[in-house]
Amino acid sequence: MRPPAEAIGDLSLVVGAIALVIFVGVEGALVYAVWRYRDTRGLAGEAARFERNRPLEIAWTAAPALVLAVVFVLMLGTMAEIGGASADPGVRVRVIGHQFWWEFRYGDVVTANELHIPVGTPIDLELTSADVIHSFWVPELGPKRDVVPGATNRLRLLARRPGGYEGQCAEFCGIEHAWMRLRVVAQPHAEFDAWLRAEGSPAAVRGTEGERVFLANICVNCHAARGTEARGSSGPDLTHVGARATLGAGVLPNDVARMRAWLDDPQRHKPGSFMPRVPLEDAELDALAAYMAALR
Amino acid sequence: MTATALWVRRPAHERVGWLRTVDHKEIGVLYVGMGLVFFALGGIEALVLRAQLATPQARLVDPDVFNQLFTVHGLTMILLAVVPLLVGFANYLVPLMIGAPDVAYPRLNALSFWLSLVGGIVLYFSFVAGGAPNTGWFSYPPLAERAFAPTPGVDYYILGLAVNGAGTIIGAINLAVTILLMRCPGMAISRVPLFVWMTLITAILILGAYPALTAALVMLFVDRQLGGRFFDPAGGGQPVLWQHLFWFFGHPEVYIMVLPAMGMISEVIPVFSRKPIFGYAFVAGSSVAIAFLSFSVWAHHMFAVLGDSENAIFSATSMLIAIPTGVKIFNWIATMVGGRIRLTTAMLFAVGFIAMFVIGGLSGVSLAVVPIDLAVTDSYYVVAHLHYVLFGGTMLGAFAGAYYWFPKMTGRLLDERLGKLHFWLTFAGFNLTFLPMHWLGVVGMPRRVFTYPESTGWGPLNLAATVGAALLAVAMVVFFANVVRSLRSGDIAGDDPWDGFTLEWATTSPPPPGNFAAIPAVTGRRPLWDRKHPERRDQT
Repeated sequence: MRPPAEAIGDLSLVVGAIALVIFVGVEGALVYAVWRYRDTRGLAGEAARFERNRPLEIAWTAAPALVLAVVFVLMLGTMAEIGGASADPGVRVRVIGHQFWWEFRYGDVVTANELHIPVGTPIDLELTSADVIHSFWVPELGPKRDVVPGATNRLRLLARRPGGYEGQCAEFCGIEHAWMRLRVVAQPHAEFDAWLRAEGSPAAVRGTEGERVFLANICVNCHAARGTEARGSSGPDLTHVGARATLGAGVLPNDVARMRAWLDDPQRHKPGSFMPRVPLEDAELDALAAYMAALR
Repeated sequence: MTATALWVRRPAHERVGWLRTVDHKEIGVLYVGMGLVFFALGGIEALVLRAQLATPQARLVDPDVFNQLFTVHGLTMILLAVVPLLVGFANYLVPLMIGAPDVAYPRLNALSFWLSLVGGIVLYFSFVAGGAPNTGWFSYPPLAERAFAPTPGVDYYILGLAVNGAGTIIGAINLAVTILLMRCPGMAISRVPLFVWMTLITAILILGAYPALTAALVMLFVDRQLGGRFFDPAGGGQPVLWQHLFWFFGHPEVYIMVLPAMGMISEVIPVFSRKPIFGYAFVAGSSVAIAFLSFSVWAHHMFAVLGDSENAIFSATSMLIAIPTGVKIFNWIATMVGGRIRLTTAMLFAVGFIAMFVIGGLSGVSLAVVPIDLAVTDSYYVVAHLHYVLFGGTMLGAFAGAYYWFPKMTGRLLDERLGKLHFWLTFAGFNLTFLPMHWLGVVGMPRRVFTYPESTGWGPLNLAATVGAALLAVAMVVFFANVVRSLRSGDIAGDDPWDGFTLEWATTSPPPPGNFAAIPAVTGRRPLWDRKHPERRDQT
């Protein structure tokens, strides 16, 4: 199977080439007509009188119809191809859209905002939403698909080369729609398997001061860290948050300093997100940020 | 009758006349005035949006304010600027063009204007009553449900659009009845000017489309205020139902906004080419085809949510609509061929309409191709496409109409030098704003984002678009300056400044109450031409 994005790209080139020919032809005819027949002498009355030419008019009605028929048939082929009926998926991921972040579930393994996939394997995403309508879009990998509450939509992706692919929510979903970004990390099979094993393991550090701050505050109402008592599910799973590239679904790069700034006042960085400001002492913030960064 | 002239400073008791007028020309002027005021407001909103997007991660406006502004920008331009502008021209011109003294129901005509205006005021009142709607012009539930949009903005949206829509529906009934029943002797339906044809089709489209919106608005109101569950999946409702209803209105709405402008340039091009329109029957007939097809294409707004079989069907109907549209473009060009083209400002804008509409039409066909749509829908590619249709098409057409009929409406010509400056600034600013957006969409910039990270590389093209928007703003200042100046000191137009073909040029500028001294009788499609050249009378 070809990556859907490549199939769409090829179809776009064909349609684009046809459109370019029509564009040049029509605009050329328009400019020529205006230039060739411009009035230079300011004569009154009538220039000419030909009001109809049935064969010509029928011809320029039929010709576009034929071109469109060709485009339509080409389109059906591409639709069948990107639907991916021909190939079994290597990996299935359940994608749940939230205002304003992405939840990814590989069976019991839960993560957020960073979708890891193996290269060269068709991936089936099962998309649904926890609140409003979102749309899953990674332009370099495939088409977009709406993420609708109460429904499960499917989307097939395939990455040919390893690397990071940027994506984001494409259906306006509220105040922080702009920062509902995601990142797809395509990896060789072995690397992906290792990632999935690591992601499935419980929290890597226990018993630190940061963990104490985390568990003692309202963080746990919304967030989970497997292996601890934190089992909230309305916010991103934090079991391996330190390994992710960004914070706040793309709003900040993820390092200890930014983590601390984010924890200090999420509303400053992502006003309107559902993460409230939790009043913490400086020392508590230091410990909490260090703990989060260590959750790898 | 100079008392009806626009620029005459009326005594106080007569100025109240504007509030109670039932004259189709005065109501037409009121509509156009409403359209221009909201066009300026929508433009200012757009400038704020463009300023915020000029650079990555700018913090010029708050995200929620940004969302309110793009929501109201869309609603304003579509429902409060473009539709009133076009309905205003139709109100003014249709009775004149068909040789009637007024519309069929003059009082109803006043009612439809005031409802349309009050709907707009209700929508704008939300800014000072807890916040404007911030859910996008199509306000998809569940986002527009009270759980996710608790401010009263969406309630003002429902109320404003329902009232505005009622005005538009009543106005459409009035125009349709006028065209069907009030044509002067000899004015067969196959002889009415093409602007009148397009207005008739537009009126029928309004009657089919707007009630679907009204129904959807009522359902959303029940959900928000009375605990209904029409669109709430948790209560067994169906969010996608709203999308079907909304786009059943929303796509015909596009043709409601484009067909009258096509009608305008179908009047302007023949007169300034000194030829009859080429293929009158095809231009009129293709509009009927567009009207039928426009009710069968709505789901192309929903490819990303529907399945392959529905998508293939709606793709086919959407492609089909390109055929009658293409026919019109060929006919306009064929009208120019062999002519003696006078490049007045009106003609420049008409040619600009064709040039830009071709681009919007071709990108529209690409969006009818399902896989391409799935790649670029909800991206800036669509923003580019719709502005090529609605600004490059409709607004350039409306400007062509404005330069063409301003002398009829006011008795004075708009200044041609300022007009040409207006055209070229518009042309440059428009393309600088919207051409780069195609590419931004292809590389992944979604619509309706208040900002974007620098790493995306979208900064330079966004900056170009913002510079273009500033240029467009200058162009609009030139236009408004031209209007103000020409109202006061423009050249006197006389009855028939363009050597026109149709009946509106057979009466004074502006026309008296009742329009004609005697109801005219016509024998062809170009009654005034026939009257001026009895020896070369049209045979149709």
